[in-house]
Amino acid sequence: MEIILEAVGLTKSFKKHKAVDDLSFAIKRGEVYGFLGQNGAGKSTTIRMLVGLIIPDKGKVFINGTEFINGRRHLLKNIGAIIERPDMYGYLSGWDNLKMMAALSNKNIKQQRIHEVLEIVGLKGREKDRVSAYSQGMKQRMGIAIAMIHNPDLLILDEPTNGLDPQGISDMRALILSLSRDHGKTILISSHLLYEIEQVATSMLIIHKGKKLSDGRVSDLLHPDDTLTEVAIAPNEAIKASLAASAWSAYLQPANDNALLFKMNPSLIPSLNKWLVAQGAEVRSIASKHSFESYFLNITNDTAVKNRTL
Amino acid sequence: MRKFSAIAVAVFCLSSFAARAVSGEQLFDLLRKKMLTVKDYTAEVKMKINVSYMRIPTLAGTLYFKSPDKMKLERHGGLSIMLKKNINLTVSNMIPTGSVTVLDMGNVTIDGQNLRVLKIIPEDDQGQIILAKIWVDENSMLVARTETTTRNDGTIKMALQYGKYISYALPDKVTIDVDVKDFKLPKGVTMDYNEVRDETPKKETKNRKGTIQLNYISYQINTGIDDKVFSKK
Amino acid sequence: MIQLLRIELYKIFKRPRTYISFAIVTAISFIIQLAMISDGKSFIAFALQGVSEQFDIHGNVLNGYLIAYIILQSLLMQIPLLVALVAGDSLAGEAGMGTLRLLLSKPVSRMQLVLVKFMGSFIYTLLLIIWLAIIALFLSLLLFGQGDMINLKSDAFILLLKDDIMWRYAAAFAFAMLAMTTIASMSILLSAFADNSIGPIMTTMGIVVVLTILSNLELPLFSLVKPYLFTTHMIGWKGFFDDPVPYAAIGKSAFVLVAYTLIFLTATILYFNRKDIKS
Repeated sequence: MEIILEAVGLTKSFKKHKAVDDLSFAIKRGEVYGFLGQNGAGKSTTIRMLVGLIIPDKGKVFINGTEFINGRRHLLKNIGAIIERPDMYGYLSGWDNLKMMAALSNKNIKQQRIHEVLEIVGLKGREKDRVSAYSQGMKQRMGIAIAMIHNPDLLILDEPTNGLDPQGISDMRALILSLSRDHGKTILISSHLLYEIEQVATSMLIIHKGKKLSDGRVSDLLHPDDTLTEVAIAPNEAIKASLAASAWSAYLQPANDNALLFKMNPSLIPSLNKWLVAQGAEVRSIASKHSFESYFLNITNDTAVKNRTL
Repeated sequence: MRKFSAIAVAVFCLSSFAARAVSGEQLFDLLRKKMLTVKDYTAEVKMKINVSYMRIPTLAGTLYFKSPDKMKLERHGGLSIMLKKNINLTVSNMIPTGSVTVLDMGNVTIDGQNLRVLKIIPEDDQGQIILAKIWVDENSMLVARTETTTRNDGTIKMALQYGKYISYALPDKVTIDVDVKDFKLPKGVTMDYNEVRDETPKKETKNRKGTIQLNYISYQINTGIDDKVFSKK
Repeated sequence: MIQLLRIELYKIFKRPRTYISFAIVTAISFIIQLAMISDGKSFIAFALQGVSEQFDIHGNVLNGYLIAYIILQSLLMQIPLLVALVAGDSLAGEAGMGTLRLLLSKPVSRMQLVLVKFMGSFIYTLLLIIWLAIIALFLSLLLFGQGDMINLKSDAFILLLKDDIMWRYAAAFAFAMLAMTTIASMSILLSAFADNSIGPIMTTMGIVVVLTILSNLELPLFSLVKPYLFTTHMIGWKGFFDDPVPYAAIGKSAFVLVAYTLIFLTATILYFNRKDIKS
């Protein structure tokens, strides 16, 4: 598949702090590309370097094969971005904001398109209100409207669910999926929450302290066979002995006395449960999480992820 | 021809010598009487004030005069600037009224003009004028120059040139020399644009003499001016 | 570029804050005009003390031309602040609002943005000066009538004939425009450094106040630097009310102001082109 955006060896320091360190990745056309990292990992700095807001100390960005600094103005015509927060001119209406940004995109954008985009992001009817009166969710959606008003191929959405309530998050997720599926956009979406990326992204990149930890297809990184299943049982040496002798031993991982840990496809959980009960084990709970997730958890210590997974 | 003119000059000199028979007091009286024939006048004038610190273009206006001491410059919507009220700019005002003591100082020649000099001391010692010195052209019975020492306004010198209105003893051009005090405002108040001063060459800073030049273009004489004209601001 | 300028002007004039300046100019003018109506005579008497010892000045001394001059003189300090309100906000305000990253992730070059900010501030300043002309000059003429104008300098008394004044005001307003453009360009430069608009506005004001004091202090130490301070030249408009008009000096002042403007503008472009937008 054709590569729409490629970053090569991006490096940026602010005073002594190295915000991004030799980061390389590529995004293919049509992908929803997740960009995962805890707060302060360097996501925003990276995204700002992608659109030319921050000038890298080292490294290059290519869009459609052209180096960004050589064709900035031309290339930006094909990129729409929300960076960090969807800030707009609060004293102007949504319509005015949108119209202004349309005019700045160097493309001849018709009024019809503005209506269309308002429809897509679900702000139809509220466009005449001042942006300062918008809720956070409306601002996020208006941000996306601004990002896509000029019909770019690549959308860069930096933490688009920040500050949204659960309903807002769910709506945003649906919008992103629709932009990808129905409108054929390539989307780079950043988040500090794995499950958010997991639900929309086809590929992802994880960074930590400015360095790349891992990247690849979500289906590979989050392969079901790598799911960890924790079974809490009353301590029972006999069960452990028969487990070691059974076929389940292939999945068994080291764990404490009160629990058994398996690394296997979650589809096996029902049969495992049946077998354990048949062996007379007193099963108290079964919980599963992906090994990648626990890996991510360990490095990020993100409470939000913990709350959801445990 | 030459002979004739030599004779004429001789006759002229003699006649002037004969006029010497007129005493200073008599001469002064004659002058005053002549001046009194003008009760009032309205004149179109052009006034140029040359005072070192004042930069004023030539002011055109109408000058109203009424005997003995009323005077006003009307600028038709513009500003009128006159020497301070006590002294007006007419000859009659430079010469004391009332009884005076006249001292005859003899004749002098200034710019080729033979002039008789009189010193006039007013007997009223409360008046504005303390002493006046006048230079009189006896032939035409005109005052050519005055030098008046005033109580409050220093010494004012006046030189007069006559033309069209010579018969009324009214001058065409008057040049008045005045003493001018220094003028200084704090720069913090005026916030000057300094550049201007710095570039013009420094003039004599202590030059405190000024002149006022009045050119009379036309007169309307003895038309009877209402006093109200002078009271209007 | 024209599109960008149109958007810039739209933003400037859609914002209530913009009109505060017009209100302030109006208020200050009104206050001075009111003060002159009620107390102008004694003010004039005070100002003319030195002259009226020897000369009687009659006529409409307190006319519209003089009042306008007094208003202009009083606004000398305030107008730069009002210009800074918009120019100082131009880049820093966008940074503070977060819209700078929105603008710069559009196909707009940074130099274009700086130039448009400059032009926007210029047009705003122009309108402010025109408004000032209307309120300070034309309204004063309406209220106080025409007349010859007295201009007092620290060492001179200048009288200008009433038919010889209007062109001076036209030239003076044009010069004031140039001076305010210099202020605007300095404000934009300060604005490029900052991420909120208070900083550059206050800094502009601070610089103008300090340099104006230096320009007006009569100390040998400062006379060396004075010719190089733009505040010394900002009052060049007053030259047009001198007689004769010191064209050479005004020309030099205008040159200094243009030079400063270009330096500020170039510095802004150079700095802003390399700036990391972190706001």
